Amino acid sequence: MRFLVRFLSTVLGLAVAAGGALLAIEVGWRWWQPGRAPLIVPWERWREDLAALPWTSTSVRVTAVIVLVAGLLFVLFALAAGSRAVRMTDPADGICVSTSPRALARLVGLAVRAQANVTGASVTASARKVRVRATSRLENEEQLRPRLLETVATVLDDVPLERRPKVSVVVDSPKDRR
Amino acid sequence: MSRSTANRVSTRALARSHSAERTLTFLLGLVAVLAGAAALVVGQGWLGEFRARRPLLDPIAVSWLAGHQLYARIGAVVLGVLLFVLGLWWFFRSLRPERRPDLALDETPGAELTVTAGALAGAVQADAEAIAGVTRARARAVGTSAEPALRVTLWLSEGTDVRRIWTDLDTYVLARAREALGLDSLPTAVCLELDTTGPARVR
Repeated sequence: MRFLVRFLSTVLGLAVAAGGALLAIEVGWRWWQPGRAPLIVPWERWREDLAALPWTSTSVRVTAVIVLVAGLLFVLFALAAGSRAVRMTDPADGICVSTSPRALARLVGLAVRAQANVTGASVTASARKVRVRATSRLENEEQLRPRLLETVATVLDDVPLERRPKVSVVVDSPKDRR
Repeated sequence: MSRSTANRVSTRALARSHSAERTLTFLLGLVAVLAGAAALVVGQGWLGEFRARRPLLDPIAVSWLAGHQLYARIGAVVLGVLLFVLGLWWFFRSLRPERRPDLALDETPGAELTVTAGALAGAVQADAEAIAGVTRARARAVGTSAEPALRVTLWLSEGTDVRRIWTDLDTYVLARAREALGLDSLPTAVCLELDTTGPARVR
């Protein structure tokens, strides 16, 4: 996502620069040489087209929807490109330590999978929340969940995180379906 | 370097800053959303049926512009130049690679002593890889030459005690680097990762 925003930002910067340059050049050219044809952009033809196009026309609506959706995507990309690093407490002045959500999730996942009667587990983690979804054939949710909560708590105790994430554990067991 | 400055510099060294790119993309996206929504609102006739049936390039607006031709032209040229400058600055800022500042230890004329970013990174990397449990390490200098900092990424093998690494780092690796360079403080950001290529887990 960060790469995408960087790329998008480069392209948009270039587009803004090009647009600004064309605007300045065309207006300046018309000012300097009033009777001559436009230099690069055929804006006189565009002007006639736009003067004949009402706001209700389909092409205007389609363009508006495209611009709206593209803008929404830009906003979403920009929001999603924030730093996701999970901060740990600083061991000393001038040193700060962080880990990636993926590393934290793997750390939790290893501990959860090492528990007895856990067939599989998927873990997602962020600085605020750790979600564990474990499957078990032998134990139902009521039996396994407290144990897994405790396991995750022990793992989180061992990692000096700046803020302790909330933990949610869901157990998926065929025993619960009967 | 004061305590809070060191903390600020090290926090900033955690990851490359994307704030300018993000802000500009966000703002442009917001402008596009508002423009698209406004065009739809006008086209739907919510601002009056009369407005919806008018052409995009409204004769009223055109005649107003023609009445203020000089100001309109000056405004357009200035706007164009501003957009051009802003766009170019934005473009080059997005393309700019992250800086790797050298560390100037002594700046007295005739006796300058500089540690290149590569040498500093190599030394710290070798030290960090010597810690038990660290399979791979990568270090690089980041920040500005006025406020240089170090970013160290450590890949830990499975089953490593994170808390021990967390304490070893300062007392062993970074203390050595500071000692060798004769610095009081070397702001450092450490990123811990779990190595995926560790030994296979046996159950």
